[in-house]
Amino acid sequence: MKKIILLVFSLFFVASTFYAQEKKETLQGHTNQNKFRQLKDVLATPNSQHTASGAPGKKYTQQKVDYVMDITLDDSKQRISGSEKITYHNNSEDTLQYLWLQLDQNMRASDSKTPDIQSSKIPNGVTKDRYDKTYVDAPFDGGFKIMSVTNANGDNLSHTINQTMMRINLPKPLASGETFVFNIKWWYNINNHRTDGGRSGFEHFPDGNNNYVIAQFFPRLCVYDNVEGWQNDQFWGRSEFALEFGDYTVNITTPADHMLGATGVLMNESDVLTKEQQNRLAQARKTFDKPVLIVSQKDAEKIEKGFSKKTKTWKFFAENVRDYAFATSRKFIWDGMAVDINGRTVMAYSYYSKEANPLYGDHSTRAVAQTLKTYSRYTFDYPYHKAISVDGQMGMEYPQICFNPGRPNPDGTYSDRTKYRMIKVVIHEVGHNFFPMIVNSDERQWTWMDEGLNSYMEMLAELDYDKDFPITRGYPKNIVNYMSGDQSRIAPIMSKGDNVYSFGNNAYGKPATALWILRETIMGKELFDHAFKTYAKRWKFKHPTPADFFRSMEDASAMDLDWFWRGWFYTTDVTDIGIKDVKKYYSTTTKPADYKPGFRSRGSSNDKMVYFQEDTTEGLSFGANKKEDSKYHYEITYNKPGGLVMPIIVEFTYKDGTKERKTYPAQIWRYNDQEVTKVFSSDKEVTKITLDPDLETADIDTSNNSFPKEETGKFDKFKSNIKG
Amino acid sequence: MKSKKIYLLLLIIPLLSFSMHKYYISLTEINFVKEKKSVQIIMNVFMDDIEVALNKANNIDLQLTTKKELPNNDVYFSNYLKNNFSLKINDKKVNYTYIGKEYEGDIIYFYLEIKEIENVKSIEITNKVLISDFPKQENMIKINLEKEKKSVLLTKKNDKALLKF
Repeated sequence: MKKIILLVFSLFFVASTFYAQEKKETLQGHTNQNKFRQLKDVLATPNSQHTASGAPGKKYTQQKVDYVMDITLDDSKQRISGSEKITYHNNSEDTLQYLWLQLDQNMRASDSKTPDIQSSKIPNGVTKDRYDKTYVDAPFDGGFKIMSVTNANGDNLSHTINQTMMRINLPKPLASGETFVFNIKWWYNINNHRTDGGRSGFEHFPDGNNNYVIAQFFPRLCVYDNVEGWQNDQFWGRSEFALEFGDYTVNITTPADHMLGATGVLMNESDVLTKEQQNRLAQARKTFDKPVLIVSQKDAEKIEKGFSKKTKTWKFFAENVRDYAFATSRKFIWDGMAVDINGRTVMAYSYYSKEANPLYGDHSTRAVAQTLKTYSRYTFDYPYHKAISVDGQMGMEYPQICFNPGRPNPDGTYSDRTKYRMIKVVIHEVGHNFFPMIVNSDERQWTWMDEGLNSYMEMLAELDYDKDFPITRGYPKNIVNYMSGDQSRIAPIMSKGDNVYSFGNNAYGKPATALWILRETIMGKELFDHAFKTYAKRWKFKHPTPADFFRSMEDASAMDLDWFWRGWFYTTDVTDIGIKDVKKYYSTTTKPADYKPGFRSRGSSNDKMVYFQEDTTEGLSFGANKKEDSKYHYEITYNKPGGLVMPIIVEFTYKDGTKERKTYPAQIWRYNDQEVTKVFSSDKEVTKITLDPDLETADIDTSNNSFPKEETGKFDKFKSNIKG
Repeated sequence: MKSKKIYLLLLIIPLLSFSMHKYYISLTEINFVKEKKSVQIIMNVFMDDIEVALNKANNIDLQLTTKKELPNNDVYFSNYLKNNFSLKINDKKVNYTYIGKEYEGDIIYFYLEIKEIENVKSIEITNKVLISDFPKQENMIKINLEKEKKSVLLTKKNDKALLKF
């Protein structure tokens, strides 16, 4: 029997190739265009630093950079001045001729080229302020003023500045395993981020106070690795940072009445905090259920009237961080709460001005705590001792500290929208501690590797914070409008952030959705969570690339996902799967008059036969011909106008109202990318067939998702609901 | 039929981790359903922005999506749209019915309908929604006529467009 079938099969295939050859006079060849072909020619060749499994290899190395800094904030001039001693450890196997540092502040220099690459038009009219700023006033005198660059002995060190990058011309090549020590002195004018934007800066209050949220305030080493060489792509203002890990010893001098929160462990608590503040802090460190006020609003309201002429110096030590930031003001209220991360106590803190209260008092520290718990569960235990949220009125992340938006109305009330938006950003920015502050991908090159992964994780933390959290992005249905938009204004996720339209959708929304779909629909929670955790653990405190992520997810789950990465990350293709046609059949043992045997029905001549008869009754219901003993057989043709291959999720609704779900893996499209036909047989009559009923696949056109066809669109549905 | 879709391609969510960059954009999808002789319009705008505009214009506090939300606020929306969004079909001014609104996240959707339209040869759209309050406001229009699709971006400088089919 087997032999006969084999024979029939081979005849069939021989015959079909034969026909094909006869039909076409010339055969146009092609390379492998199958949507399931592997990504081997797209991903970097694995090596002993970035292995084929997606893990760091035995030759993986990473540079280390230690900083000792003295920083002074001049509140009267809104100016930072500093000096740093940098110790550069060349852990690579290469000999370096020069070092590159990032001078991010130069993006704001008066000769910055960032404004030059923005197109501009004459508007009909602008406010006088805006007019003066744009057309009359001299540009803001921002940018680093480098006072000196010297070697360990204090001798001048040759250096070259190219916009936001500075090259240190080493006096002699730095061999593998050697360290180089040098010093830089600088100052710069701080930007007002409320009026001029920015990822750091100050906010000015009418009473003369300023809230400072300070970052990118010192010349920082670029990453040197075997993926990019020196990552010295210019900072244009959007694509963020690639930084090395190291230890930071930082002394910050502020007006004596300022409160301050910063990266690292505060080494001189008793010098800078009052006895009462120290007592309350001790209390906060033991309180796990709610934030404890260390500086209350009443305290802060008193302090903000002071304007002390004296100064004080805050001393911090931060071990194994990739960057440094701080926030300081007279106005800061400060609360804190202990968080239990697998038996280790981590502190969640918030610093905020009274203008942000009670919104921040109610939610900021709690949101920090939730983020640490949720992210630790899905990645690794949060390794640092604290995480801070600051009322910084932007949304920007740094190690252990982030600056967040949101303030209540002047009367202290706030809407749910304000509340959820603020919590959302706090979770997002605190979440960045994991991606990219610890799993330290190259933000300058691949925005999605931190923003996308973090936007996905953010959803899980939001749902943990409040199971009804109004999630505004990440669900497949929320990305449909973007993905179905004008193709000339969409870039693949695998694009550099500086160059994409609709940055938020490209680098945040779409990758978050892609991961959500992988977890919920394609891999399942268990396989996905294990693989995601594997990736996070493998690359914590290291520099992963996209290939490391793609490979780890497959390596840890036994799922070939190359088709998914290719479609979702390397193309702008969309999901659109539809039902093209449904044919109904019943079975019978009576040989129909027009019966023609197909190769499948061949058996030995003595075998009993069952014959299929098509029922041509309109719609899904069967006519009178079908007998009781026959099952209901449906031959369904699915078509795929969209370029993405995705699983076909089908819901069959039976006459008795019950439903059955069938999911065909994406691989069903491997032979034919246009349409596939599939049989569904049941004991009960089907009245309705619906594709992707829970909107899991980001199908851009659901009008072809049901049979019989449902004609009601968004408009008609709304209208009938209103009348209803 | 790909007509039942909302295009929001330019509706960019505020960029977290970027300094909070605010985008001012709305999207209006105009859909002609010949068998119903109906022009169906779904307009979506950022809730925050329309709230600011209406509060200012009417000296009210809408408090959208809160417990203190003003009842019958449809009157304000409907009036605002009548004053700021108008259409001519086949060279004749047409009136639309304000059917209602719904909220989704930060966005508010308005549903408008023009009835008794036999065919559409041209549509002239004037959209000044939010433009006087937010000079950077851009209003995207997508038109779907059975088979033919067109789109246009209206701005403060150019708040009117004529599309012929």
